[in-house]
Amino acid sequence: MRPLKMIVDWIDLRIGARDILKKELTGYLLPRNINGWYSLGSVLLFAFALQVLSGILLLIYYVPDADKAFKSVSHIMNDVPFGWLIRMCHAVGSNMMVLALLLHMLSVLFMGSYKRPRELNWLTGFILFSLVQGISLTGYLLPWSQLSFWATTVATNSANAIPVIGPYLVEFLRGGVLVGPPTLGRFFALHVAVIPAGIAALIGAHLFLLKRTGVSTPPFGQQQTCNPWQGDSYRYEDHPDGIPFFPDFALEDLRAIAIYMACFLAVLFFDPYLFFPKDAFIPANPFVTPAHIKPEWYFLANYQTLKIFPNELIGLSLQGAAMTFLALLPFIDRGPERHPLKRPLFLACSVGGLLLWIGLSIWGHFS
Amino acid sequence: MDNSGRRTFLGICLAGLGALAAAAVGWPVFRYLAPASSREAAGKVVIPEKEIPEGEAKFFEYAGSSAVLVRKKDGSLVALSAVCTHLGCIVQWQKDKQDFLCPCHAGHYSADGIVTAGPPPRPLPKIPFSVAGGNITVG
Repeated sequence: MRPLKMIVDWIDLRIGARDILKKELTGYLLPRNINGWYSLGSVLLFAFALQVLSGILLLIYYVPDADKAFKSVSHIMNDVPFGWLIRMCHAVGSNMMVLALLLHMLSVLFMGSYKRPRELNWLTGFILFSLVQGISLTGYLLPWSQLSFWATTVATNSANAIPVIGPYLVEFLRGGVLVGPPTLGRFFALHVAVIPAGIAALIGAHLFLLKRTGVSTPPFGQQQTCNPWQGDSYRYEDHPDGIPFFPDFALEDLRAIAIYMACFLAVLFFDPYLFFPKDAFIPANPFVTPAHIKPEWYFLANYQTLKIFPNELIGLSLQGAAMTFLALLPFIDRGPERHPLKRPLFLACSVGGLLLWIGLSIWGHFS
Repeated sequence: MDNSGRRTFLGICLAGLGALAAAAVGWPVFRYLAPASSREAAGKVVIPEKEIPEGEAKFFEYAGSSAVLVRKKDGSLVALSAVCTHLGCIVQWQKDKQDFLCPCHAGHYSADGIVTAGPPPRPLPKIPFSVAGGNITVG
């Protein structure tokens, strides 16, 4: 251990590394009643890192060319040693990451952690959610299967409902009148460069805001569950009698990551094609639309909403309004109370909204 | 067992588990990245005899690398690796001189792959082949 200590001493003398470690790890105190839901952020960081790593590995063999994309994915799955594992990690990981992200948002919603002064935390988180949806949608096209091709056709076509600019927007998104090789080029660039860079930047902003405002105290097991911030001046919410991030909460984070990995590996090894309908195994054919083409499970509610309303513009506007409402929630719900059971209107609306989303998704799946 | 002994034991267990996990992740990634030539046995390449007239050479891919078949002026055939033994460039057949030139550092080889000039340290490796029914089978 002596050479290691010498290296640490050498660095410490120059940049005060031990001070930083003490401040950010052992000296970084979190609320004493913090719970496991607070680990979902770390789980998401881990899941995103896994996506980046598996994505980089896939880039080695994947060919973003309409004539070769499906073959290259088949080559990865069938010929390259452990190619199936890397590809399935990426495909299953994207679904699991969306699930963890939804749970993270739900926990923030129910514990009222989005309330002031954390509006920007919520807003950056919401943009991250939208970007994750975007990266999932663009990644869906890349295998160039029947499922990829037609799900992208339907998804991009919904922009047609926007008055005046709709048709041009669809053409712009696709790089042509129909989904084709130019669409693959665009979606590939978005998927591997533009959106990941945006996600990384927003994760940075999200963590910066978390560090500046401090971790919120869970409203459970407390006498006082109202928001203490008066809005008069900047105040870091500290927890002087709290537990240290390291080793206490770091172990909690590790436990949450282990649970996530257990679920992830269970799907990966026991039901790897859970998220793969049969059309995902047929190369794209622009002249044959398969029956019952469906989007990924997290877009099923949107898909069903568009089906319910005969006018596409109404369906799209409703979705836009719901998303805008959710994005601006901290500016709309300004009450100081944070405990969900002391917020009956919030509880009724959020549970109702959640049930509606689940109901629409199930309806969409079976319709 | 005292506390420090227990800590050491748990530390060793944790390190062992960590090493196992790292191996479980590292091995598939290493195999995924390993070059195809090292995992695929060299196959045979069949070339029709009529494709190589006297004094001509034909370059082709063999065992993940480049190879060349030469029919010399006397009608005999030679199969060689086309990779220069100096720094790995691909040699060129000079029909007029009936020899190989490496364009990178002007290495010269005879039609049999023997170094005649320049920096190459070794001759071009020979590749076994057989001729039957108008076809040349390399490998």
